[in-house]
Amino acid sequence: MHELSLAIEIGRLAEEKLGPAVARCVAVGVDVGTESGVEPSALEFCLEAVLSDPPWKGARAVLTTPPGDIFQVTWFEVEDDDSP
Amino acid sequence: MTVRKIEVRERVMARNDELAAHVRARLTAAGVTAINLMSSPGAGKTTLLERTLAELAEPLDIAVVAGDVQTQNDADRLSAHTGRLVQAIVTNGACHLDALQVNDALDHIDLAKTRLLIIENVGNLVCPASWDLGEKARVVLFTVTEGEDKPLKYPKMFEKADWVVLTKTDLLPYVPFDIGRAEANCLKVNPNLRFIRVSAMNGDGMSEWFEFLRFSVGPAVSA
Repeated sequence: MHELSLAIEIGRLAEEKLGPAVARCVAVGVDVGTESGVEPSALEFCLEAVLSDPPWKGARAVLTTPPGDIFQVTWFEVEDDDSP
Repeated sequence: MTVRKIEVRERVMARNDELAAHVRARLTAAGVTAINLMSSPGAGKTTLLERTLAELAEPLDIAVVAGDVQTQNDADRLSAHTGRLVQAIVTNGACHLDALQVNDALDHIDLAKTRLLIIENVGNLVCPASWDLGEKARVVLFTVTEGEDKPLKYPKMFEKADWVVLTKTDLLPYVPFDIGRAEANCLKVNPNLRFIRVSAMNGDGMSEWFEFLRFSVGPAVSA
């Protein structure tokens, strides 16, 4: 049951990529391959916890399950404040 | 407010794999061969290691990293059989060892005086398969008191392994375990697997296991 440590690693990776923008991140896309050895529902549960802990403000986890052993973060959605 | 999508495509295991590569480079530079020993709980990792240390700890300059979920029991048991260092990693509930833990453990081992490093992983047939520790070979213990279908139930562990050691063969007369079928199931998930059958209890097959370790390490290089 290492999905929690994987969720924490995804959080760490996102903070590294997005910097302070993690607070404006609204969704995280993750590919969880069917042969990756990762249980998608357990990962989703753990990600939900990680992504609602500061500096996160409750981003959604969007999991897809392609064939193969791929296990990667594919994209982030960040909300930009474009008011003048 | 507009939502902007940022593509990344970053492998989640990338950090562990980088650290494993670092461990591998450290070991190679020091001339140390590392073996990652994995199995379900109770398959006999610690007992096999006890016998191994009694026989080969000095001739092969063996150091051990023992992962244990909650206690230091395994490391204490192993220390009784060797004057060489047994480095314990208590994982506090974590189900596997990762490359960072092994890299930290190496700081406590005199690599210059080590030729074989045996990493006793946490007893678990699922999680340890996903974590590269920088080892040269992965050995899975498969005991005759388990079902012959273990390789089919836990394919990733057997897919990623190099060797399967069938343990507790002294119990074969008492259990309905078909060792031929068990090995055939292993080969279904990984046709490259090789096998050693041992009983650490009565010594059967142990010479073959010792031979495998000697061969993995190679001849001693005089300094």
